[in-house]
Amino acid sequence: MNAHASNGHFIDLQKVSKRFGDNGNGTTAISNVSLSCSAGELVLLLGPSGSGKTTLLTLMAGLIEPSEGQVLLFGEEVRSYSDGELQRIRAHRLGFIFQNFLLIESLSVLENIVLVLRFAGITGSHAIEEARRLLRQFSIEHLSDKSPLKLSQGEKQRVAIARAIANGGELIIADEPTASLESSQGLQVIELLRNLAHAGNRCVVVASHDRRLVEFADCVVRLRDGAIEALEVHR
Amino acid sequence: MTNYSFRILKAQPARTAFTIGGVALCAVLMLFLLSVYRGVADGSVEYIRHNRTDLWVLQENTTNILRGSSILSTGHGNLLREISGIRSVSPLVFFLSSIRKGERGSTVYLTGYDPATGIGAPPLITQGRNIQNDGEIVLDRSFAAKSGFHTGDIVTLKGDSLRVVGISVQTNMFVVQYAFVTLRQAQSLIGYPGLVSCYLVQVQEPGTVASMKERIREEIPGLEVYDHDEFLKNNIREMQSGFLPLLYVIAAIGGIVLTTILTLILSISILERRRDFAVMKTLGSTHRFLGGLVYGQGLQISLTGCGAALAFFFPMIRLIEAISPEVSTKTSLEQIAGVFLTVSVMSGVSSLLAARKLARIYTLEAFS
Repeated sequence: MNAHASNGHFIDLQKVSKRFGDNGNGTTAISNVSLSCSAGELVLLLGPSGSGKTTLLTLMAGLIEPSEGQVLLFGEEVRSYSDGELQRIRAHRLGFIFQNFLLIESLSVLENIVLVLRFAGITGSHAIEEARRLLRQFSIEHLSDKSPLKLSQGEKQRVAIARAIANGGELIIADEPTASLESSQGLQVIELLRNLAHAGNRCVVVASHDRRLVEFADCVVRLRDGAIEALEVHR
Repeated sequence: MTNYSFRILKAQPARTAFTIGGVALCAVLMLFLLSVYRGVADGSVEYIRHNRTDLWVLQENTTNILRGSSILSTGHGNLLREISGIRSVSPLVFFLSSIRKGERGSTVYLTGYDPATGIGAPPLITQGRNIQNDGEIVLDRSFAAKSGFHTGDIVTLKGDSLRVVGISVQTNMFVVQYAFVTLRQAQSLIGYPGLVSCYLVQVQEPGTVASMKERIREEIPGLEVYDHDEFLKNNIREMQSGFLPLLYVIAAIGGIVLTTILTLILSISILERRRDFAVMKTLGSTHRFLGGLVYGQGLQISLTGCGAALAFFFPMIRLIEAISPEVSTKTSLEQIAGVFLTVSVMSGVSSLLAARKLARIYTLEAFS
């Protein structure tokens, strides 16, 4: 697995379509999408509910395979990876921010981070030190021992972002990261994500229906009924 | 990982307690069965083991005294004594008989021996003394407790009155218990003064046991002759054939119940936390790690259940023995270790069965 694709894109979608169900009765979630994302970019997949944002996000992360077309993840066709290789890519090179955060509630904040570090092969005191460093970076070290159940929405999102970058992955996949937040908190989060993309030289792909995020994105992909309605490059 | 397994269990305290209770009950059942088996095994053959002799001589086709009937005569004893190289010949009489005290009657395995030689005596007297004369009887402790007999009591046996002079242990065969009277008394009670069940023979030269065995067979037809170890094995085999199948069936049922309970609980736990598992899969967890979480839960439940079983077992045994004195148990460290190992293996099997559900949890579920 090379760090970058030969063409420099982390993700390269070529005429990708995704259908669910039987050919006769199935629904087309994504239709003929071509798109590429590179390091240092914040890409916004924008569209209303049912427009195919999340499906496109999971295609880009290699969690599902396209029905047609090609998805190149880090320069390799997703279908060419074995299950084990995809698991290792997720563990080492991808970070995920889920809608509603999806922190593991049985674990403390610190343990949520340590868990991801463990998947990336960092264990013991190194993992704990690294998790504390990340929490400090996001000014939430005081929450280390708390259960996610006792955090505010804003705090949960910060922990979720810390968890997403814990493994040092170059590609961050964020599904509706501002949906559960108040307006001001949402803007803080998208600024944080933009900073991760620009300063951290990562590629951050955000799926959202929130139009206010447009001004923060380097590339906006407007989706409607599974197809690209418009593609705007701001940088 | 262990930490997370523990947290999952802690999040459902009532269910976890219920499961641990189920495991503990199964472990107690296994421990109890093993202890009863060991108690019965020892009680059944301890009498034979204690009365160590060179040769046991019985009627032809009789292999044991637990469930075999051997009828010989005093004449056989005389023939044995005539064989050169034999040091002593001690007759014993065994038969089932009912002992009465007032209106109550209970069956014992009555054993008649010669108190002058002491060969055929009970292994251990815990209260009173051994019989010395006719008109005396020694009872097994479990039998005495169950039937309400004490030393000094007068009991009736086939119309004869006998005084209880002692209480013995290691004489409990579970379904029936030994009682000891003089040989003469036993022969009188059975109504055939010349009747003997078997002879315990000691040879003059220790190295001649095998040859003497053959010689007795050749010189006195109609006899079975066993050396001590062979006879002991026969009786153990007889005891096991009557008891072990039942034990295996109950233990197997206990094991199946335990595995089923654990598999169900672990499966429910996986399904309830399927979103967590989906998130962990998406974040790059290996199947091994997720399986380890399930196994960790199973193991923690099992070990805690075994600990609870151990804490509960000994007081329970004391209670059972107080209520039913005929239940004789014997527990060893090996038995406890065996039960712990069995429960651990079963928890491993349950974890494997439950962990199959993990394959049907998909990363996409983290995005739904």
